[in-house]
Amino acid sequence: MNRVLLRPRWYKVLADLWGNKVRSLLVIASIAVGLFAVGIITTLDATLRRDMRLGYAAVNPANIQMVIPNFSDRLIEGLRGVKGVAEVEGVRTFNLRARNRDGEWVTITMNAIPNPREMKINRLMVLEGIWPPLKRQLVVDRYKLDELQSNLGEEIEIELPSGTIRNLKLVGVVQDQTIGSSGAGGGYFLAPAQGYISMDTLEWLEEPQRYNLLYVTVTGDSSDVRYIREVADRVRREVEKSGYVILGTSVRASDDHPNSSYTGAMSSVLYVLSILVVFLSGFLIFNTFQALLTQQVQQIGIMKIIGGRSRQVIGIYLALIFVFGVLAFLVALPLANRASLALLEFLANQMNIALLPYRPVLRATLLMLAIALVVPQLAGFVPVLQGVRITIQEATSGIRKENVTIGKGWLERQLMRLRGVPRPLLVSLRNTFRRKGRLMLTLVTLSLGGSIFIATFNVRASVSDYISRVGKYFRADMNITFSQPYRVEKVRQDLEALPEIERVEGWWGARGEILDEQGVVIDTAYILAPPAGTPLVSPILLEGRWIEPGDTNAITISERFSDIFPGIKPGDTLKLRINGEEKTWVVVGRFQLVGSSGGYVAYTSGEYLAKQTGMINRTSSFRAVASQHGMTLAEQKALAIQLDRYLRSRGYDVQEITAGLSLEENTTTGLNILTTFLLIMALLTALVGSIGLMGTMSLNVMERTREIGVLRAVGASDGIVIRLVMVEGLLIGLMSWGLSVLLSFPISTLLADAIFVALFRASWRVVFTPLGLFIWLGVVLLLAAVASLLPARNAARLTIREVLAYE
Amino acid sequence: MAAQLESSHDTVPIIELRGLVKTYKTGAGEFPALRGIDLAVMPGEFVVVVGKSGAGKTTLVNMITGTDRPSAGVVRVAGADVHAMHEDQLALWRGRTLGVIYQNFQLMPTLSLLNNVMLPMDFCGLWRRRESPLRALELLRAVELEDHAFKLPSTISGGQQQRVAIARALANDPPILVADEPTGRLDSVTAETIFQIFLRLVESGKTIVMVTHDENLARRVPRRIRLADGRIVSDSRDQRGGG
Ligand SMILES: Nc1ncnc2c1ncn2[C@@H]1O[C@H](COP(=O)(O)OP(=O)(O)O)[C@@H](O)[C@H]1O
Ligand SMILES: [Mg+2]
Repeated sequence: MNRVLLRPRWYKVLADLWGNKVRSLLVIASIAVGLFAVGIITTLDATLRRDMRLGYAAVNPANIQMVIPNFSDRLIEGLRGVKGVAEVEGVRTFNLRARNRDGEWVTITMNAIPNPREMKINRLMVLEGIWPPLKRQLVVDRYKLDELQSNLGEEIEIELPSGTIRNLKLVGVVQDQTIGSSGAGGGYFLAPAQGYISMDTLEWLEEPQRYNLLYVTVTGDSSDVRYIREVADRVRREVEKSGYVILGTSVRASDDHPNSSYTGAMSSVLYVLSILVVFLSGFLIFNTFQALLTQQVQQIGIMKIIGGRSRQVIGIYLALIFVFGVLAFLVALPLANRASLALLEFLANQMNIALLPYRPVLRATLLMLAIALVVPQLAGFVPVLQGVRITIQEATSGIRKENVTIGKGWLERQLMRLRGVPRPLLVSLRNTFRRKGRLMLTLVTLSLGGSIFIATFNVRASVSDYISRVGKYFRADMNITFSQPYRVEKVRQDLEALPEIERVEGWWGARGEILDEQGVVIDTAYILAPPAGTPLVSPILLEGRWIEPGDTNAITISERFSDIFPGIKPGDTLKLRINGEEKTWVVVGRFQLVGSSGGYVAYTSGEYLAKQTGMINRTSSFRAVASQHGMTLAEQKALAIQLDRYLRSRGYDVQEITAGLSLEENTTTGLNILTTFLLIMALLTALVGSIGLMGTMSLNVMERTREIGVLRAVGASDGIVIRLVMVEGLLIGLMSWGLSVLLSFPISTLLADAIFVALFRASWRVVFTPLGLFIWLGVVLLLAAVASLLPARNAARLTIREVLAYE
Repeated sequence: MAAQLESSHDTVPIIELRGLVKTYKTGAGEFPALRGIDLAVMPGEFVVVVGKSGAGKTTLVNMITGTDRPSAGVVRVAGADVHAMHEDQLALWRGRTLGVIYQNFQLMPTLSLLNNVMLPMDFCGLWRRRESPLRALELLRAVELEDHAFKLPSTISGGQQQRVAIARALANDPPILVADEPTGRLDSVTAETIFQIFLRLVESGKTIVMVTHDENLARRVPRRIRLADGRIVSDSRDQRGGG
């Protein structure tokens, strides 16, 4: 008697759930997949930025970094008393070359740390091996470990500027979240491999026991950049009073992770996506319940005959929907958490973030719960009301007015006029268009999913397009850096003597401290000075013009400058301090580089900067173009090794030769992570769309079980029945694909704009690629086939008697 | 006192139709399915409605049960003006006053027989929750289906399903049963068992209006009403039933 303890109406709820398990699973899956997507997106959005901020602040990052040649503990002691200064530390950093197992030379930035046991600023997280490194030992950051190709315990071969070879034992691996934190560098993705040594290894590496980089943290509000600049200015005065020259200054808030612009971009994408996906899952759920409840019309009629009042009948269905929603929530919640964690770990690893211990995001959980409980009720309410409203007569006779008008609509009439279309196809076509409301919902759901999928491919293509455009700032095949300046003419003659080299240019460069009106240092700019009119740079000009021959103190600035000087435009002036000397420059143009993730980059005339820095006709930096055009990265690297040998044999002190494309490669790694991320999001929407199509198709077929029985009764074979259903599925798939293609244009633009504005504060042209379009076509057709095949086979298997009794 | 009640029982019709007209609006224009029906059914009467297909029998039944609205005329059932009530009042009233039986049984497919019979009690709340399963079992016993109480409708025969439908129609102990071709889908032997149940119910005091095609059954009912083209063409009473 256990079974009768429940009221019969609640028993009906359970029976509907349990009685048709396939249908229940479909309904639950349709809701759950939407919740899953919403859950992941909201969790990522909340966690990524929060963990990035908190994780970065936890290493106590330097708020002020100053490049000061050869200073000692005396200066540090003197700075402790400066107002606003919390902690001061000095390190010595310098670049060396390390040889990896392939024999390639890899640049490694060494950081010699005075008190490795008790680092206060820019603390490292030990991942593997031991800390601190002892004499002649090396610890590296995990980021470019692959490039070094070394394992713990191995000796790494290091070449000193003098040509001496030293071996350092690799004893540990750390994570350094501050890589790329100084504004003058190219950011995290451009930074070379990082090595950490103790001060007593310096001598062995032929370096003085002196610091050259000053780290300062501030007391008070360390997230206020303006305040940090004030403290930096007091520190600068103190440093200069002690007789030192400052070559570069950069300031950074404690919660401003070097890669924050990437998470910013991701957040914008997630924001746009989450709105779309909430819509998508709403449609999906709506659709599912529409399909579910149209099957219940007759039962609603029966209940009304035997005394069921609207409130009671509606209650039964809302309870059923509630249970479905709760079950879907229970399925989706753990899955979403798991997937979010996996995605977070992937992104954290790519973007050098230290994640806090994972815990579910309350906002995401609540949003999922709300969607699970509210959207199905909203979606179900309309069809339940419809069901309750239709007359009992209609319900119990099985004839609905809607059905009575079959074949009278415009579409149907047009369809029936088609000539030369095989009959089964005609029947499928009619079926497809019969339930226009349902068809619309299915189409909207699928098309939305599909268009997001296609759009992510277009955004990827647009980002790639941008990447290759940025590559044109780095057109040389070789970037050669010597440890000392050489005469431009001599280097050119020596290199152009080689048949492999077509053209050589000497480039000048300098760090320039950017000053505000009061002469306070804001940050440090990288000034690149190629010969005016060089063909090796083709800039993306935002306004104004590029550097021309005959220019003197003219300068073009990257978009990043607008962060510190909003509204700066050609004709304005800019004060820069180079090697301790202040000079005024005239801005002639603004160009677009890699946005806020890159540093402050400026171009000026090489001849002019050479004069200013007393390096006329001499420099340490050269660009070379190979005779062979369109070299691959591998070919460039091979040539680099060849040039290295050649130049050394002629007595040059080569510090580094890098392949032109490797710069582009590094620049774009960060953007690639974005595109990978987009791909993952594309798969997520594809999943939502797929399960949606599966569910809708299956429910559609289930609803027509009786009709299929009639078809079989008049002699249709299993094959014909299956084909009929499949053709219908494919038709819906194709139609939705067409709509997706149309919808993908505005959605691509929306997504791309969100990313480009977040990264570059400027828009970029949206590139449309057929790739996503075709992949989605394949996906949709496959899904449609699978989604209709399964229920079609079930329907074909039913005996005629069963089918006719199915009412 | 008892005599007074008895007499009011005899003189006031339990079902009364006056000037009943129903016109369907179809694509082809208006179609009059009932063209002015006047009918009074006394408590305890067993009335059969016959007529060709399309004569308007089902339409008439729907007017009595209140599942469809008339175009003109009045329907009074058990003292209530049926079409003056709104949907929810009507549903509750119907659940308590009328048991409706259809040709195709109309059982809830996902509920056991027992739950099918209990559902009207659940909706109308005339029995206490603990009483209703016992009452449902009793009703199933009366139609000899007690042993099948936990089966689903699809697992029993058509005749058995119709017996469940009758048990369900009796769940709230309504004074009136309305059946639209209850034996239409059954063979003659099964039909006979259903008819026997109806006879027993009339004996116990229920009023029954039954639509049928089966002239053999119809002949055995005390009062026969023949419909043709939406009009009552004959209304004959057997005198042996007394009156
Ligand atoms: N919903 C409706 N719409 C239009 N015409 C209807 C509708 N229901 C019944 N009819 C028509 O009304 C007439 C009477 O129908 P019905 O009462 O079902 O007849 P019976 O039950 O005697 O066979 C028939 O001609 C039928 O076609
Ligand atoms: Mg009829």
